Amino acid sequence: MSLKNPMWGQPPSAVRPGEARRFAMLLFWVVLISLPFIAQAQKPTAAKPTEDLPAGPMQAKATTACTECHEARIILQQRLSKAAWTKEVDKMIKWGAVVNASDHDALIDYLSTNFSPDQSPYEPPRSTTEKTVVKKSK
Amino acid sequence: MNSRRNFLKQISAAALATGVIPPTLSWAMPAAMPAPQSSTLDVPGEDGMIVRSFRFVDLETPVEYLDTWLTPVPRFFVRNHMHEPSEINAADLGAEGWQLTVGGEVDKPFTLTLPELPKLEQHSVVNTLECAGNGRSLHRPQVPGIQWGKGAVSTARFSGPRLHDVLQRASVKSTGKHVMFRGLDEVPGKVPPFIRSIPIEKALDSDTLIATHMNGAPLTKHHGFPARALVPGWIGAASCKWLTEIKVLDSEFVGNFMSPGYRLPNQPVKPGDTVKPEDTHPVTALNVKSVIAGPLDGAAVKGGKVLVQGAAWAGEADVVKVEVSTDGGTTWNPAALGHDQARYAWRMWSYNWKAKSGDYTILSRATDSLGRIQPDAPVWNPSGYLYNAVDQVKIHVA
Repeated sequence: MSLKNPMWGQPPSAVRPGEARRFAMLLFWVVLISLPFIAQAQKPTAAKPTEDLPAGPMQAKATTACTECHEARIILQQRLSKAAWTKEVDKMIKWGAVVNASDHDALIDYLSTNFSPDQSPYEPPRSTTEKTVVKKSK
Repeated sequence: MNSRRNFLKQISAAALATGVIPPTLSWAMPAAMPAPQSSTLDVPGEDGMIVRSFRFVDLETPVEYLDTWLTPVPRFFVRNHMHEPSEINAADLGAEGWQLTVGGEVDKPFTLTLPELPKLEQHSVVNTLECAGNGRSLHRPQVPGIQWGKGAVSTARFSGPRLHDVLQRASVKSTGKHVMFRGLDEVPGKVPPFIRSIPIEKALDSDTLIATHMNGAPLTKHHGFPARALVPGWIGAASCKWLTEIKVLDSEFVGNFMSPGYRLPNQPVKPGDTVKPEDTHPVTALNVKSVIAGPLDGAAVKGGKVLVQGAAWAGEADVVKVEVSTDGGTTWNPAALGHDQARYAWRMWSYNWKAKSGDYTILSRATDSLGRIQPDAPVWNPSGYLYNAVDQVKIHVA
């Protein structure tokens, strides 16, 4: 089956019954073989409701300090310089994040290493789709 | 009937939907494929939304849903600064204990209960609500905050009593210059509460509401049940959800979400510049903006008639013109504006383009009744507010 197939694009009347059957069989096998791939791809991975922070020496302490108030996804989507992370961490400490003074710099290093401007963007999950009645405007 | 061709179309559609192309059929497919499907998360009552955050809830409307004048509630973006009030439950309408107090610089402070709200004169406003930070992720350098793409914007018909009528009943003193809203958001840690104020003139405007309904149905919990402020044409943050207190003040409310939050520098600034608080002003009305709902960025479409469409809005002003460029901004063509319109609502727009095969950058640009026009490049600011650069998608025409 290729673009060069002279049958392609001809009216159905030009296709001999035997060829049509053979074509149908071919399609059947093509679809059968690709079904597992289609099924796999149709089932997008289920995201965790709330995300985890990346592994690293500060993972546990950052989790305690930050996710008391908000989930990790809010951090995962930031792409900030070290100066900007320092401002954020200091603001959050003012707002109640518990960070030991001895962990302050290490926390900023952890965040600015994992979530720097040169990282590729975070891919957020989509909420599952529902049947929504949409009134189209003309 | 050419069932073979239909069958091929179905396979193509299945492959398009799944991102899987059987190699033997690859010649029948468009040249470019949409990005692989992202992971999914069940968020009850919400339909196909981009989950920027689950706890607390921040949901973005995908741009392909910005193609209807009224956004269905399950597709209406959600912006929460804090956790939703746990004692208020829209599902069982358990808002018996809910009260709305009206006080401050008034002669007759009073309290409203939920059954009293429908007894007040009702008014409806179709309003495009947009988060001040919509488009934040498109600023360079990046700035902290929820990294919204283009869809922290939606439109609904909001209904409820006028704030004007409630303030009139309380009899505002001549010293009353600003009106503060307090919601029932649950504040974690030592985070400052989400309290903001609007000037008295906007509060007394006949279109500013204490909204209880959205598109004819009671507000859902995500949208502020049982009542929210609705400050039309202004950034979403002005329209406080789970409203429980209205207080008339003699000056702007002092708190994090009035300053330094939700303020813009008076003069353009460069990244790294220090901006003094006195050189800033609160973000109020939305600016002029258009977004392309289709074709999607990265899409592959068939040559011939291609419908370029989207929405355009301008806060308190009217959209007067939307133009589309299919050559990266060299020439501009007028788009047709949809017939649905209301003072504070976006206009749908569309442009029928006869497309030949090739790779294209499609742009859209709106102009409003104040003569404002979308800029070619975004105006960077430290918090990434009011992104409104000319919109653009790159597509392939087969």
